[in-house]
Amino acid sequence: MARPELIIEGLRVGVEGREIVKGLDLTVRGGEVHAVMGPNGTGKSTMASALMGHPSYAVLGGSVTLDGRDVLQMAVNERARAGLFLAMQYPAEIPGVSNANFLRTALNARRAEGEPIPVMQFHREFKAKMESLQIDPVFAERYVNEGFSGGEKKRNEILQMAVLQPRIAILDEIDSGLDIDAVKLVAHGVSDMISEDMGVLIITHYQRILNYITPTNVHVMMQGRIVRSGGPELAQQLEARGYEWLREELGLQEPLEQEA
Amino acid sequence: MSQTLPELTAEDLRGHAASEPLWMQERRLAALAAAAGLALPRSKQTPVETAPFTREALPAPTQVTLGPAPEGVRLLDLAEAARSGDPALERELGRQTSGSGNRLHLQHLATFAGGLFCHVGRNVEVKEPLRAEISLGDDALYAPHVLVVLEEGAKADLILELTGAAGSETAMLGMVEVSLADGAQLTYTELQRLPGRTQSYWPRRAEIGRDGRLHWILADIGGRLAVADTRTTLRGPGGEAQVLATFFGGRRQHFDMNHVMVHEGHHTRSDIEARGVLQGRARAVYNANSVIRKNAKGASGWQHEHTLMLSEQARADLIPELEIAEWDVSAGHAASAGPVDPLQLYYLESRGIDPVEARRLIVAGFLASLLTDIPIAEVRERIAQIFQEKVEL
Repeated sequence: MARPELIIEGLRVGVEGREIVKGLDLTVRGGEVHAVMGPNGTGKSTMASALMGHPSYAVLGGSVTLDGRDVLQMAVNERARAGLFLAMQYPAEIPGVSNANFLRTALNARRAEGEPIPVMQFHREFKAKMESLQIDPVFAERYVNEGFSGGEKKRNEILQMAVLQPRIAILDEIDSGLDIDAVKLVAHGVSDMISEDMGVLIITHYQRILNYITPTNVHVMMQGRIVRSGGPELAQQLEARGYEWLREELGLQEPLEQEA
Repeated sequence: MSQTLPELTAEDLRGHAASEPLWMQERRLAALAAAAGLALPRSKQTPVETAPFTREALPAPTQVTLGPAPEGVRLLDLAEAARSGDPALERELGRQTSGSGNRLHLQHLATFAGGLFCHVGRNVEVKEPLRAEISLGDDALYAPHVLVVLEEGAKADLILELTGAAGSETAMLGMVEVSLADGAQLTYTELQRLPGRTQSYWPRRAEIGRDGRLHWILADIGGRLAVADTRTTLRGPGGEAQVLATFFGGRRQHFDMNHVMVHEGHHTRSDIEARGVLQGRARAVYNANSVIRKNAKGASGWQHEHTLMLSEQARADLIPELEIAEWDVSAGHAASAGPVDPLQLYYLESRGIDPVEARRLIVAGFLASLLTDIPIAEVRERIAQIFQEKVEL
């Protein structure tokens, strides 16, 4: 299969009648790691949620294709099956459904009807993935995200990504609320998966996760658009100087919007 | 007998019951006389009065399929039990309901045709579950009667299935009577999978003696209109009763459920746990009542009911009640109905799971906490399976 390619052009997204993402262009290919940075409330997470098809977000314009196919025309599960994955900032809890059952169902959804993954094979592979992410095997039988700590939820998202092997993975603030050891663990888990067959889009507020996953591209998002793009050095610049200088340089006079 | 119903006479009944023992024929006629002049039960939420099971007509006999009966157990078609004569049948048939003043109970007691008789002798402990299936055919009306009697110290599990010919537009005016003597223990499982156009009236009554224990495991799945009220009376001290009720309504199904626990003996315990799922335009009317009578000291009666709504058109009315006439007791109830969480669906779908399968997972998770309380693995799996198959968008 060819290298994955996600192309976003002129994307506009609204929430409750308010436009948050105001014309965003971005292309992510297999083997690339893009970091989208920016202050709170500039539309980063809104973009991620809209790409996955979150029911509360309305796409107002623009186009999104994955490997040439129109993502915006797809139902949420079709986007996932086309290879899109979103590690969510606030994943839902599903009481009564074990992690193992959930992931096995998700894997089988990708396979041909009547050819489910053999149960033993699934558990073997699942166990190996858990070990590589230093996740306690009891995780498999715990109910999806129920009673999980913030760090456990994030690791569970990365575990799902490891099992489902998406073509384009979007990580929405996967580092927020984690201590430094947890950030390292999550970052190494993601780094191990990067190959020509997967492109990554990391949405983050802070530079620190980028110490462990080196981005190929860094973008700054402000007021619903990407206002500057560069290499890893841009992230370091932001870490050292904050966002204010960039806003002044760009002549963005309005105050930053409040967190959405 | 002089009093009869307009459309149903003593003459009709004599023909209907010609091969039965005299005591049974007399009991039918007495029920017919008692029914005359009584009004049909009324409900604000459920069209009971106009339902076809109220028709004054002679029902067709039901087909009963029975599993094996080990030593000390009589498990047979009620009609056959009547022919062969059985003292427990004569003692118990209609004992709990003939004085209820409910017109439909009496109409059933006058006209019942076939059903199940299960008798477990004193101190007999049955290891494997006893099994029976009552199946309705294409006739207009059926009236099976289920009578389960456990003598002192007997222990058994019974699994009863209610089924019918697919597509048939039939009605059922049935009844279940359970009688547990002192120290008897019964797990009564009922899987109601009647065809989608069947309308049924199905009261369940039970009496429990000293230190007896009854677990009702109920799954209401089928039927167009299913009215089922379950009333358990804890007569002797130390008795225990549990209802684990599940229901799943879809399309235009209407379930009317009523669970009543009556505590007469001291230190009796009851627990009602119900979990239901509604989709399409289904409707559930759910009532529960824990009645603790004067002198039932140390009694405890608890109720928990939750309904998961998979569609906006479904409707649930939940009315939990407590009636307490004694100080030294513990009792309480909790009831809730809520829609499926769209963010749970989104999360599952974002991993590639299609919308129907996502609902199946949520339904399975919703049921899980109730299913773990069901002691028979086979029953747990059957109910889980039936629920999974029923989920639709």
